[in-house]
Amino acid sequence: MNVKNLLPDVVRRIRTDNDHPFYSLQREMNSLFDNFFRGFDVAPRGFAGAGMGGFSPSIDVKENDKEFIIKAELPGVEEKDIDVTVTNDAVTIKGEKKEEKEDKDKNYYYMERSYGSFCRVIPLEAEIDSGKAEARFKNGILDIKIPKNQSAKAKGTKVSIKTS
Amino acid sequence: MSDKDLKKTENTAVTERIRNVKTFVPRVDIYETKDALFLIADMPGIDEKTVDVELEKNLLTISGRVENGKVQDYNLVFSEYEVGDYERSFTLSDEIDRDKIKATVKQGVLRLELPKAEKVKPKKIAISAA
Repeated sequence: MNVKNLLPDVVRRIRTDNDHPFYSLQREMNSLFDNFFRGFDVAPRGFAGAGMGGFSPSIDVKENDKEFIIKAELPGVEEKDIDVTVTNDAVTIKGEKKEEKEDKDKNYYYMERSYGSFCRVIPLEAEIDSGKAEARFKNGILDIKIPKNQSAKAKGTKVSIKTS
Repeated sequence: MSDKDLKKTENTAVTERIRNVKTFVPRVDIYETKDALFLIADMPGIDEKTVDVELEKNLLTISGRVENGKVQDYNLVFSEYEVGDYERSFTLSDEIDRDKIKATVKQGVLRLELPKAEKVKPKKIAISAA
């Protein structure tokens, strides 16, 4: 007699975990997403921080030799609700977009805007001068300027090649 | 929510563009209270000088220009949003009192208050005993 027939429950459970078509599909999907996003340093929206359906700002990062400029769209967020933290190699923008609660008994016709807390971490490859970072907030756009660390830039030393 | 929902939608229906920039459809919330309708539009980058609200017959158009949004001479490291103008139109019904529409702008959010006309507000009719 087959051992499996004696242990139907155990066998079924093992199968659910490993071989069920749904789970294998899920595994496949997960690895597909993992592979797809591997190329990006910044975690994609909706998959990190605020989570599905919540508010998550759009971010642009630009650089030149001297500094990074980070712009984030934060319409309707109060200045006091934004928290910008700069470490040696990353910038974190945290905050909350609050829903207006002044009107009770309202019926919605359109609801396209989203609310909620958000957190985005932007890793920066070059060394930055975290002490000299500046942030401005105007008309719903957050503008962060971070100078690059000049000493870090000087680390690369040019080696002269001798002809013998 | 898919990633597509998080991106700005380009308004391709806008004709007669003079400025060489893209136009986006701002996301709006519209809700109704007892006395008025409220329209709230996310338009990051605009202020009270660069936003326009026009009412022509039944067509309410909100538009915004974003100036100096582009940063020159920098290399793009990571990009999620494009800088551009905003435009969107809505059709109003007759129950809005057109003379009393109020608009305010705060932190890149346009807020329109569209009060209902007196004649359409719900009224309670007093019943007298006959």
